[in-house]
Amino acid sequence: MRGQVIAADFIVSVKTWLRSKGTLFWTLAFPIMLILIFGAIFSGMGDVEYTLHVQDLDDSEMSRGFIEGLNSTGAIKIEIVEPEQNVSSYIDEKNIMRLIVIPKGYEETINKSFIDQNAIVNLSFYLDPGEQSSNQVVMSIVSSVIQSFNMKLSNGRNIVGIDEISTITEDFRFIDFFLPGMIGFTIMQTCVYGSIERNTKFRKDGILRKLLTTPITRTEWILSKMLFMLFLSFISTFLIILVGVFIYGVTVNINALMITTIIATSFLFSGLGMLIGRFVKEEETADTAGGAITFPMMFLAGTFFQLEMMPPFLQTFARVLPLYYVNESLRNAMIYMNQSEAILNTIAVLAFACVFFIAGVLLTKWKED
Amino acid sequence: MVEKKFKCPDCGKVASYSGMPGELKTIYCPYCSSKGRARLPELKHGDDLAIEVSDLRKEYGDLVAVNNISFSVKKGEIFAFLGPNGAGKTTTVEMIESIRQPTAGTIKLIGKNIKTHFNEVKKDIGVLPQEFLSFERLTVRETLVYFSKLYKKRADIDEIIEAMDLKSCEKMLYRNLSGGLKQRVGVAIALVNDPDIVFLDEPTTGLDPKARRDVWEVIANLRKKGKTVFLTTHYMEEAEYLADHIAIIHKGKIIAEGTLDELINRYGKGSLLRIKRCKTEGAVESLKEKGFTATYESNGDIAVKIDYKDRVLDVLSNLRHECIEYESIDVRRSNLEEIFLHLTGSKLSEEET
Repeated sequence: MRGQVIAADFIVSVKTWLRSKGTLFWTLAFPIMLILIFGAIFSGMGDVEYTLHVQDLDDSEMSRGFIEGLNSTGAIKIEIVEPEQNVSSYIDEKNIMRLIVIPKGYEETINKSFIDQNAIVNLSFYLDPGEQSSNQVVMSIVSSVIQSFNMKLSNGRNIVGIDEISTITEDFRFIDFFLPGMIGFTIMQTCVYGSIERNTKFRKDGILRKLLTTPITRTEWILSKMLFMLFLSFISTFLIILVGVFIYGVTVNINALMITTIIATSFLFSGLGMLIGRFVKEEETADTAGGAITFPMMFLAGTFFQLEMMPPFLQTFARVLPLYYVNESLRNAMIYMNQSEAILNTIAVLAFACVFFIAGVLLTKWKED
Repeated sequence: MVEKKFKCPDCGKVASYSGMPGELKTIYCPYCSSKGRARLPELKHGDDLAIEVSDLRKEYGDLVAVNNISFSVKKGEIFAFLGPNGAGKTTTVEMIESIRQPTAGTIKLIGKNIKTHFNEVKKDIGVLPQEFLSFERLTVRETLVYFSKLYKKRADIDEIIEAMDLKSCEKMLYRNLSGGLKQRVGVAIALVNDPDIVFLDEPTTGLDPKARRDVWEVIANLRKKGKTVFLTTHYMEEAEYLADHIAIIHKGKIIAEGTLDELINRYGKGSLLRIKRCKTEGAVESLKEKGFTATYESNGDIAVKIDYKDRVLDVLSNLRHECIEYESIDVRRSNLEEIFLHLTGSKLSEEET
């Protein structure tokens, strides 16, 4: 592999891009427009039902009343967990995101509080750190129900409280959820469409046939194209972060995991684009083919909506989509600072990137039939 | 030219002499001036060949696009592969350029089988693919610099720009060039590695006559530089103007091959002298009496078949002797169109449509 050849090809791509005013404008404007428009739309989003698992160890009139109070908000779907279940293993086995445990002695403590001013009872609230923005919504609903209970019981004194069993320490908004998704989505769009268009145009113009007769290897050419896509990915990411920080006040943590994810994502979707470009011969059908892959993925992989808003079978399907892992990796690395989740998702993105890059290199064909 | 070293029998020093293959030469030792005679070695079979194609075949399902063709191209010549669209020209040249995989057959470039040695010969060939368009937003110079960087062996870009007459547009973006200039840039790209063999696939298709002539001059100059040029075309004038050697391909088969003169002698009707607007009654009869094959044409002109070039003078002296008046005369040789018609029963230009 010759670095000089890769550099020459990369420079040609950058020059061509800089000189196409339309492409330059849309590459820069597209992510900014998307984050501005969708950020504004989805920041006000609220009509979502969230699932909350509840284990009632007290099984009393007051504990049932509290559960009824949660249910009556209409925003939370209550799933009852049997008292004999071990909460930790239940959460692990069922992949539960939120669970509240009403402790034994709940009613007794409340009754005692009318005499003893210091008597308080805390509910244990188990949270999955990977679903932090939806957790915040549920937390605020639960808090308001508890506050209303406390008002009724003691005119505002905190008899019932919450013990959070999670690592969440900050408040997150929808834009915090949305911004990493926007980065993942934009990289996907840039790389998939960029790769497809280059492949089909260069094939149509005879450039691929010409290159086949020169000493440049397919790997050198693909690598230079992927480096160019990475260059565009970093520009898009920078612009989205800029808008997120200065317009929506998002706190972004730039770290090695985030950068690794962006590099892997760029390679992943460039590889996917090359695979599509391998089979789409006409320039005219390239956009349709790209859209057929990227649009369903955009909606199903948790870019704009949280997965739990979708039916369970779609949630299962989402977990096989590479963009889902990109979104989760970026969210955990950039926003939630959940290292362990970020590492797991980054590994998944790297695995997808290896598969698609290798497939792209192996299956990309310059020769004519 | 070949060169051979010899050891002088008198002084024992080693020197060399050169000449045409097989030539018997008187040689002098440059050290002791002793004299002797020696014969230069004959070329081995294939040494003078740039391209050798044997039993080349390409099938697409039941369709046979190229049907077991064989031919060779000598070093330094312009070889025209002439035929109508769909005859198999581009399929053939793309198999030689290793862009397409042959179904069967052997292809050698500069003596090397491309099936096993294509990466080695890439540096020795320059290719202008059919309907090639380069990067739209690079200037002519940037385009040439980019392609030259793909090679270790590079020609001087300034020299190429000069030779291709591209100086005036070297800073223009490729997308803003005219069709003729784009084709010239395409030929220039094919030369960035100073190749021995240049493949030009339909380099003048779609160009206006002036642009076509300009590209012809560029191609003719390649021969002066000693390049071997493999040219595919469906323009017979292009082949007639440029080619040292012509192969006519029709429906995947080579139906005729040779120099222009050989093809005309073998398949043509010789030359025709045309007497335009003859004003003398009985001129055809008079010519026939003198043994000429003369006929009236539909527009009233008289056509006289010329079997060999001295017959032209005979006809002219007969016209003067018989006081036959006419407006003008012209002499036209058989062309490739007629040869194609003779061989296939249809005109090359009709096959195009």
